[in-house]
Amino acid sequence: MLIKRTQQRSEIASSGSIAAGLSGQRNGLDRRAFLRRSGLAGGALAALSTLPPGSVRTAKAAMAGPLSSGATVRKSICTHCSVGCTVTAEVLNGVWIGQEPSWDSPINRGSHCAKGASVRELVHSERRLRYPMKLVDGQWTRVSWETAINEIGDKLLEIREKSGPDSVYWLGSAKMTNEGAYLFRKLGAFWGTNNTDHQARICHSTTVTGVANTWGYGAMTNSYNDIRNAKTQMIMGGNPAEAHPVSLQHLLEGKELQKANFIVIDPRLTRTAAHATEYVRMRPGTDIPVLYGIMWHILQNGWEDKEFIRQRVYGFDDLRKEVEKWNPEEVERVSGIPGEQLKRVAKMFATEKPSTLIWAMGQTQKTVGTANVRASCILLLMTGNVGGPGMGANIFRGHDNVQGATDVGLDIVTLPFYYGLAEGAWKHWSRVWEVDYDFLKSRFDSKQIMETPGIPLTRWFDAVTLPKDQVAQKDNVRAIFVQGHASNSITRIPESLNGLKALELLVIADPHPTTWASLSVEAGRKDGVYVFPVATQFECKGSRVASNRSMQWGEQIVKPVFESKDDLEIIYLMAKKCGFADKMFKNIKVENNLPEAEDVLREMNRGSWSTGYCGQSPERLKAHMKNQAKFDFLTMRAPKDDPEVGGDYYGLPWPCWGSPEVRHPGTPLLYNTNLSVMDGGGTFRPRFGIEREEKLPDGTTRKVSLLADGSYSKDSEIKDGYPEFTLASLKKLGWDKDLSEAEMATIIRINSANPDAVSWSLDLSGGIQRVALKHGCVPYGNGKARMNAFGLPDPIPVHREPIYTPRVDLVAKYPTLPDAKQFRLPNIGFSVQKAAVEKGIAKQFPLILSSGRLVEYEGGGEETRTNPWLAELQQDMFIEISPADAADRGIKDGGWVWVTGAENNSRARMKALVTERVGKGVAWMPFHFGGWFAGKDLRGNYPKGTDPIVLGESANTITTYGYDPATGMQEPKVTLCQIAAA
Amino acid sequence: MVCLARFARLVIGTGVLLLLLVSAASPSIAQQVNPTASSVKEQQLLQELNRIQGRVSIPDQRSGVLEQPAGREWREFRNVTLHWIGGIAILGMLAALIIFYLIRGTVRLQSGRSGRTLVRFSSVERFVHWMTATCFIILALSGLNVTFGRTLLLPLVGPEAFSEWSQWAKYAHNYLSFPFTIGVVLIFLMWLAGNIPNKVDVAWLKRGGGIVGHDHPPAYRFNAGQKAIYWIVVIGGGLVAATGYELMFPFYLSGIEGMQLAQVVHATVAMLFVAVMLAHIYIGTIGMEGAFEAMGSGTVDVNWAKEHHSLWLEEENARTGANDVRTQPTAAE
Amino acid sequence: MARMKFLCDADRCIECNACVTACKNEHEVPWGINRRRVVTINDGKPGERSVSMACMHCTDAPCAAVCPVNCIYTTADGVVLHSKDLCIGCGYCFYACPFGAPQYPKVGNFGSRGKMDKCTFCAGGPEADGSKAEYEKYGANRLAEGKLPLCAEMCSTKSLLAGDGEIIAQIYKERVTKRGYGSGAWGWKTAYRETIES
Repeated sequence: MLIKRTQQRSEIASSGSIAAGLSGQRNGLDRRAFLRRSGLAGGALAALSTLPPGSVRTAKAAMAGPLSSGATVRKSICTHCSVGCTVTAEVLNGVWIGQEPSWDSPINRGSHCAKGASVRELVHSERRLRYPMKLVDGQWTRVSWETAINEIGDKLLEIREKSGPDSVYWLGSAKMTNEGAYLFRKLGAFWGTNNTDHQARICHSTTVTGVANTWGYGAMTNSYNDIRNAKTQMIMGGNPAEAHPVSLQHLLEGKELQKANFIVIDPRLTRTAAHATEYVRMRPGTDIPVLYGIMWHILQNGWEDKEFIRQRVYGFDDLRKEVEKWNPEEVERVSGIPGEQLKRVAKMFATEKPSTLIWAMGQTQKTVGTANVRASCILLLMTGNVGGPGMGANIFRGHDNVQGATDVGLDIVTLPFYYGLAEGAWKHWSRVWEVDYDFLKSRFDSKQIMETPGIPLTRWFDAVTLPKDQVAQKDNVRAIFVQGHASNSITRIPESLNGLKALELLVIADPHPTTWASLSVEAGRKDGVYVFPVATQFECKGSRVASNRSMQWGEQIVKPVFESKDDLEIIYLMAKKCGFADKMFKNIKVENNLPEAEDVLREMNRGSWSTGYCGQSPERLKAHMKNQAKFDFLTMRAPKDDPEVGGDYYGLPWPCWGSPEVRHPGTPLLYNTNLSVMDGGGTFRPRFGIEREEKLPDGTTRKVSLLADGSYSKDSEIKDGYPEFTLASLKKLGWDKDLSEAEMATIIRINSANPDAVSWSLDLSGGIQRVALKHGCVPYGNGKARMNAFGLPDPIPVHREPIYTPRVDLVAKYPTLPDAKQFRLPNIGFSVQKAAVEKGIAKQFPLILSSGRLVEYEGGGEETRTNPWLAELQQDMFIEISPADAADRGIKDGGWVWVTGAENNSRARMKALVTERVGKGVAWMPFHFGGWFAGKDLRGNYPKGTDPIVLGESANTITTYGYDPATGMQEPKVTLCQIAAA
Repeated sequence: MVCLARFARLVIGTGVLLLLLVSAASPSIAQQVNPTASSVKEQQLLQELNRIQGRVSIPDQRSGVLEQPAGREWREFRNVTLHWIGGIAILGMLAALIIFYLIRGTVRLQSGRSGRTLVRFSSVERFVHWMTATCFIILALSGLNVTFGRTLLLPLVGPEAFSEWSQWAKYAHNYLSFPFTIGVVLIFLMWLAGNIPNKVDVAWLKRGGGIVGHDHPPAYRFNAGQKAIYWIVVIGGGLVAATGYELMFPFYLSGIEGMQLAQVVHATVAMLFVAVMLAHIYIGTIGMEGAFEAMGSGTVDVNWAKEHHSLWLEEENARTGANDVRTQPTAAE
Repeated sequence: MARMKFLCDADRCIECNACVTACKNEHEVPWGINRRRVVTINDGKPGERSVSMACMHCTDAPCAAVCPVNCIYTTADGVVLHSKDLCIGCGYCFYACPFGAPQYPKVGNFGSRGKMDKCTFCAGGPEADGSKAEYEKYGANRLAEGKLPLCAEMCSTKSLLAGDGEIIAQIYKERVTKRGYGSGAWGWKTAYRETIES
């Protein structure tokens, strides 16, 4: 009775049936399954191909347990970072009853982090929004969807009438599927504004701009899996152990297998740094001096890759001049790193190749973010570490679909797929959407504003509260429609409260009310705020793009709970209310107000030639999910002979050229000339002209080619650099004969006046791409990467001190850029920096404040702080402070402190974590907390029953002014603060 | 099969890759920093501190103790040492008492009953005594069950019944600890005055309390033996109460080591306490004629007082006069 | 016969807490009960290492030895399980356990303990395999379905290994040989009285 199991077992044992069971044939674990489950599979432990016989546990005849029997298995993608882990769900009677490891996924091989292992709770959470609500006289009141949509639509149309379409801000999300994000951008276009943005602004906008301006596309060049090939891994400005934990499986295994160098450069000794072979502590905000310091040693010792630079790089001499300024003494003076250590790092990085450089928010979230990532790219170019296995800029993005949402153009500077905002781009999309260009133009205030980038989300409250004449559009922003974006991840929260108060309408569409709701009540709003319950991504189907550009199709695991609606349905309802749904959904099937995701993807396929999103049909993506197990763990490629996915790289990482019928396998490593294009090879993209006129010191000029010199991808019929393909260039090569009649007809239809000008990216037939591929050429051409990115504010990266720096002595030599008007708003960074120096802010606030991620939470954190399994693990907002600084201030570990900031008399109350993790003079906060403001608990401001379990002060209550001139990126990674015991 | 082939390919592929890498490895690899050279080591930490502790983010800081092999020593105490202590103390005391009884028999009133009695313990005193005693017996039995039940009782009654009984015993042990503790405190206060050791006790002890032969050393209200019991109750009771509460409110007062130590003290003191109480019960019942009624009815025969507490009787007489109103004739015998 | 063990490779563990939430998810473990936890030693200092810890399913389990009601037992797989029907919540197993594995829900007044709860190696309890009663008291029984504990299966870096002791020891040894370092199998000496030579 008591120990039934043991009794049973011993009975079995005595009757000898254990021996029979040992054969492992009975639904139990076979040997391979065991190895896999023990974490053994994968190449590393090849020696273990034979196991001691009989050591594998025998499962008893599998129990058809009454609990999970009959459950169906559905696969989707984890929503918490960009690694792209497959989530395997067991569903019974419409209820998600369990999660199983996703062994077949070549990305996560069964693994998850704390967030991924607990996503089931997100769907079943008791604290989710259940139905639409609005604020009436300061009380949250239930309304029906119909009423809410009607009231909101009427108000929006009224604002549009009075103030023009740009007065409505459409803030979308990296949490949406590609289809959702694409439709949200399209909604903005049909509404008539470029004020459409999402989290990439505050995450990797500087990467996208900086990297694309260097070599063509602003994305991670390689993949998480490929890092296994690196001999030197350098992580600078990232803490993947907490932000991308499953990536560490690849990083650490790679480190072990290759006996690789694992260099971490960071102001904090992070959980990642704990595994480093070389840890370099730097002062926050000195990335460029550090990178130049490394390059100085490389050039000094001749470790640069001269042949690579000659063939594939433009502007090396200009760069050299800047690097020469950064001798070890100056680097140490500015960054605090001794020259010997950087010499060691430089040697490893330049000589123990392949080397990869990994970064995240540590480089991007600065006023010099674009320049930072440019300097990183330059280091890779200098050492010839781009375009091969184990190399590259491995840029770890943040959200599950931030890469995708960026690609589909949920952005202020471009239409989908980086076509930009020029007339040609609008005409291209009007052809894809099959609407009149003139209709689209009529939706905007003017053609000029239609082609002008919108307002970055980092400045939304400035756009609301600044005097009207400082906002370069018809009127201030007066309404904001937020679908899936936190407010506490945006800097300068005290000032955002003024914006929240001044808005006429605020719509929050999210599974949780978020800090938009609690802070707007705190700001004194009594009405004009709506909250919509949105389904989590596990209740929707669609495609998501992981950081490595692999696109994965997620199934709907369960139907939207309560009254929640799919993102796509909400977008459709808004379009319908605003009166343009017929035009906007002309080619998309809509059932019960829900647009079909597959159809949306097909429309994207038809228009996304520029980025190679054209080959990833829903059918191909679904086949990949079904055949996950067939893809190799290291190369991510399926065997060539497979009938469904033969030869494909997992997730068809973009660019996946041509139409789906071309069966391009995707491009696992960008710019890899060692492969032929049809095997995923490529070249640098000549995106900035084919030659440039350079001024020489003697006043004369010369023309320098921007095309590659003697370098080309394998099997290319053109054995040198070449520009992008157009009908004209095909004709010149005599390849136009390869175009079919139908293709030719389409090309002529696109530009009947001048068909020769139709390029690979505008040709809706895909013919030009198909022909280029046929001849082994890359459709976008073969150019040089730019060390000198003319056109950017700093064509060669220049060190500039943060707006709020403790090193006021360096400001004169390294000031931030002058004030200017950017993105319809003034950027007064220079004035702010000057005033801070003059007022002696650094004396009052002597500690550098930086911010970052915790493994348990994500983003603004409302969703994860609502999940009890995660919330239990981090129950208090805290600030890390060094023992020396704590001792000076009488602060005890675990004690309460007040943190005060350099602007707006900001203050926040939290716990102190006294640790050597941060150096003296540096403090660090996690940015996921919210629901407190200036020491006040705002729990009561949430609609009843929807408050997250854990609340706390937001780091951004303390953060300050500072915007990257090229992208509008904020500066939450470096500011100043003071800490006092509470 | 496809899977197997894939696996094999992976194995071969990795092998080839490794070969390539080994051949390409540059000599500087040998100088690579060994990241574990500086990392914390389990054995070293255990040797230094005999426990390994770190940081956890959950508020339950006791979970920050990663390893505490000290549990092993505690286990040895609980499963071996304590059994010996308990066994020797309790069985030894029982054996001693039986032998003593067989030799000495009940200590009779030498001069017989006088028929006159004298109040020894008030009703309040008796109530406190019996409350404490009852609690003690239940606490002792339920406590002994924790130590010896698994060996002695479980095989007899089976696991379900034993668990059921043990569960109730645990509740009883926890809840009766409160009246017991109150009792100990009251005993301490009530009888403190009569239990301060003095010279008479030395003489009394020298004469062995008169336990051997028919000697009757003089004593005040409490003789040295009784004083010993008093102090054992007060100190022992205090100790078991204090350590018991520490165990009952886990982690309020101490960490795991403190609780292990508390359990050691609690169990050891309790075992000895039980043994001593056996002697106390013996002498108060079958061991001595006329003793039980002191706590029973609260009165004792004057002759009993004369024999065992001569000085106390004198005091009482001096205080109230020879014809003390409080001395009453016993009921007709 | 297989002898189930856990092994945490501290050189791989990054304190991502996947094991912790996987456990919560699989067994619906309530707030305040932590069957598994990750402890970081030398937090924030050079040499920092994290170790994921739960019941190690010791050889000659101390908890079983000291249990006054004998409710803890070792299965044929070497998994240490207990009966909540028999447990009286006395706390003795917690004093004896070297790894702080036993957990007690707070019930009633003054912090008194409810029935002990701990890691089951995803093997349920004495009730019928896969039964509702078993799930409610002990959580899922993956072992009976031929699966290993979810914490190890979902470990982000394959740091936490679960399975037959000989095999996981061999996996660990292979790793150490390949990479050239290893800080040892934490807790093995205490739990199993053996170490893995590296």
